[in-house]
Amino acid sequence: MKVSFTLNGDPITADVEPRTSLADLVRGEHRCTSVHLGCEHGVCGACTVLIDGKIARSCITLAVSLDGAMVTTLEGLADDALMARLREAFRTHHGLQCGYCTPGMLITAHDLIRRKGALAEAELRQGLAGNICRCTGYAGIVAAVAAAMDEHETTKSAASIAAE
Amino acid sequence: MAAPSAPPALAAIEAPRPGCIGDRVLRNEDARFLAGHGEYLADLDIPGTREIAFLRSPVAHARIRSIDMPPGAEGRVFLLKDLGDIHPVRAVLTTPGFRGSDYPALAADTVRFVGEPIAICLGATRAAAEDLAQEIVVDFDELPPVVEIEQALDPASPSLHGWPDNICFVSTPGGGEVDAAAKAAAVTVTREFRMARQCVVSLEGRGVLAYWDRRLQELVVYSSTQQPHVIRTVLAKLIGVPEHQLRVVAPDVGGGFGVKNNLQQEEVAIAALARRLKFPIRWVEDRREHLIASPQAREHRVRLTAHADARGKILGLEAEAVVNAGAYSIWPWSAAMEANMVAGILTGPYAIDAYKGRGVTVVSNKAPLGPYRGVGRPSACFTLERLVDEIAAKVGREPHELRIDNMVRPEQMPYRTVTGKLFDSGDYAESVRQVAAMIDVPAVRARQARQNGTGPRRIGLGFASYTEQTAHGTDEWIARGLTEVFGYETATVRFTPDGKLIIEAAIQNHGQGLETTLAQVAAQELGVDPADVVVRHGDTAVSPYGMGTFASRSMVMAGGAVGRASRQLGEKVKRIAAHLLQVKPADVTLANNCAVAGARSVPLKSVTDAAFLHPENLPAGEDPCLDETTTFQPLSGTGAFAYATHAVVVEVDTGTGLVEILDYAVAHDCGTMVNPMIVEGQVQGGVAQGIGNALLEESPYDSGGQPLASTFADYLVPGAPEVPTVRIAHLETPSPFTAYGIKGMGEGGAIAAPAAILNAVNDALRPLGVELNETPITPKRILTALHDARTERAR
Repeated sequence: MKVSFTLNGDPITADVEPRTSLADLVRGEHRCTSVHLGCEHGVCGACTVLIDGKIARSCITLAVSLDGAMVTTLEGLADDALMARLREAFRTHHGLQCGYCTPGMLITAHDLIRRKGALAEAELRQGLAGNICRCTGYAGIVAAVAAAMDEHETTKSAASIAAE
Repeated sequence: MAAPSAPPALAAIEAPRPGCIGDRVLRNEDARFLAGHGEYLADLDIPGTREIAFLRSPVAHARIRSIDMPPGAEGRVFLLKDLGDIHPVRAVLTTPGFRGSDYPALAADTVRFVGEPIAICLGATRAAAEDLAQEIVVDFDELPPVVEIEQALDPASPSLHGWPDNICFVSTPGGGEVDAAAKAAAVTVTREFRMARQCVVSLEGRGVLAYWDRRLQELVVYSSTQQPHVIRTVLAKLIGVPEHQLRVVAPDVGGGFGVKNNLQQEEVAIAALARRLKFPIRWVEDRREHLIASPQAREHRVRLTAHADARGKILGLEAEAVVNAGAYSIWPWSAAMEANMVAGILTGPYAIDAYKGRGVTVVSNKAPLGPYRGVGRPSACFTLERLVDEIAAKVGREPHELRIDNMVRPEQMPYRTVTGKLFDSGDYAESVRQVAAMIDVPAVRARQARQNGTGPRRIGLGFASYTEQTAHGTDEWIARGLTEVFGYETATVRFTPDGKLIIEAAIQNHGQGLETTLAQVAAQELGVDPADVVVRHGDTAVSPYGMGTFASRSMVMAGGAVGRASRQLGEKVKRIAAHLLQVKPADVTLANNCAVAGARSVPLKSVTDAAFLHPENLPAGEDPCLDETTTFQPLSGTGAFAYATHAVVVEVDTGTGLVEILDYAVAHDCGTMVNPMIVEGQVQGGVAQGIGNALLEESPYDSGGQPLASTFADYLVPGAPEVPTVRIAHLETPSPFTAYGIKGMGEGGAIAAPAAILNAVNDALRPLGVELNETPITPKRILTALHDARTERAR
């Protein structure tokens, strides 16, 4: 079956089997290998991507269902300012070890900050509950997301003050 | 004692310098992972690669009557007979009494667990390969399965491997006068403890890609493994390709924790097949395969008796540990590793002179058991530390004070335990004192008094202490009866002509931060910027021979090797620099990418330029080039012992059975810390896995031997809301036996958490007559225990 959608800003058309997942499609010929497969049944979150700006599990999303959609993987956020801040915070707070959960964790954190703004720690942890990390015990991840969140909020309020 | 290759001569660090040992250096490897540019096995892009799906046994125990191939199977489906002349894996201990068995790469006659591989199926995609696998029809003659420990111990059960029964090995460690201790004791406490079978759950599964390289005439095997050199050695023996024509590469590895620290049947089958094909083949383990067919962990039943005096001083211990090791013995550890370790370390950090232990390994129709973070230690710690709390309750003392009284004291170091381990250094009791202060025992007790009994939520406090044998060397592996002795580690340190440094190490880095910490060691010795140092590892073609990353050994062993090599290389750098500066070599120091002598200095780049490109500028008699290869063995063949005490406060909801962790503190000692940030990350990550062990993780089987947890909906691992941020205090007693005084510490966090949490939950529920001695303590188990206790009280 033919499907056309936008992947990281580029229009693509693919001829796929109905059973082909979005993850397999973008990892395969498009080499978006930041999309990691940790369970292939929608629990671990390592394959998290953005579909039309919302986070989604690419391992349980069928590629054929995406005609006309905008799909963004971590590769597509290379120049995004908030993602740059998150990457720096993950490094500073030792928010990664083996790196396998990291792309999915970054995309989830990016979404959380954009949608929710400032969050208490317990809410932040709930927001990350759909992404499994087996290495870090989450402390570094939570600290990193909190730091990026604070910085983002400060920048936003500075921008709104400047706008007034 | 085997003689170490040379004294380390690398003293503990007095004051950390920036970028060197002791500094919180941010990690070199982070940039590629944060960009999504990690290159894991499934990401390799080698033209013509065909994907593998394994046909695996759907039954626990059966003879294979026949296998019917579908149309089109020719050249796409491969059985054991199609792999050529290969040997089955035979993982044995050299210890007398060990019963060996063969583990074929693919099952041909008999299957012994659900998930055992039978055939390799190839397709352009994994989906196509799975379609093919589904069309193969296997006619099984089902045999009665042996599933649980009690069945495996029953002589009437069918024998899996043609032995008289299903007992693989019995060890009987111990010493001292236990009978005298029993007679002298005022208090004797006996309990039975169970730790459930677990899956390891690296977030990336296992995986193998292999092809024959026509130009180099070698078989290339990419594997998501923790020990590429060792895998090359054993693969060569099994499939008949000599080691110099075999290259094993571990690319980026998405977590290991022990499950990638074994020879895998899939590695053998794929390597054997690849040498007969003209194209690369790849298998990527999916989660279902990981949860049912990869090496699993734990499943212990331990009966422990302690004899103590009226104050709770432990006079003697008696233990029987039975471990269900599953269907086969895994190379190189053997099926007996778990039971032997549990029985061998049950005296913990305490000065206990009398001990009688028995470790029993049984086989069953479950997935084979392999190492998982902590190996036997989480179970040994859980067992002993639970019993210490019961002794404390019986003699009416605070559990942490009882621990302090029983511990090996600093003035007893080095201390030889009753089972022959040599504790090297430290103040064990101080870890209890520090963590007790951090958790604020009086405040927790006051809160308990206020809250417990007023509603459904009860507070509990739990402690657990342990020692962690790390970087064990030659003596230990010989004592354990391993067929290969993992006594050392190796590194090459080489400059490039433009003045940069490359470390080539035989370990494999999969989250431990070794691309940074080994660079810090080189920075310590050579004055280079660690951010500039390239650490290459995980590839038999890029480093000298070594053993890999496991048993909390890499920082001690590879760090020692890098330190020694850098120290030796530094001497040569100083000689050349002295010649260029016209000073004495003894007056030269290395710092900030320069060789410095008083007010004069020369950049390292000028030294490397002379060494590689201008031999005319070298001192008379000095050889060109700058590289050095050395090995390292710790001075004690039983390694360096890290230790810690954990303290945790929980709130147990007696209405729902849910356990919430309110506070978690750790006081630990891993000797000299190379990078405290990374140490804290390892402690925190280990505790998280220990929380899973205590509260969530279990791989149950039904009576037919079917594994019941095959997805993340059934097998629960902790998420961000379940794992608190752990408060950590560092004690730093350098080991006298290692370079810079480093002790390993990668497993420690996971060792004490199950014990500490179970102690806390029992502390909360003890007044209700509840005692829980089995992991994981799921809500169902807690509610059942509460119900039983109520029924008991009503009688």
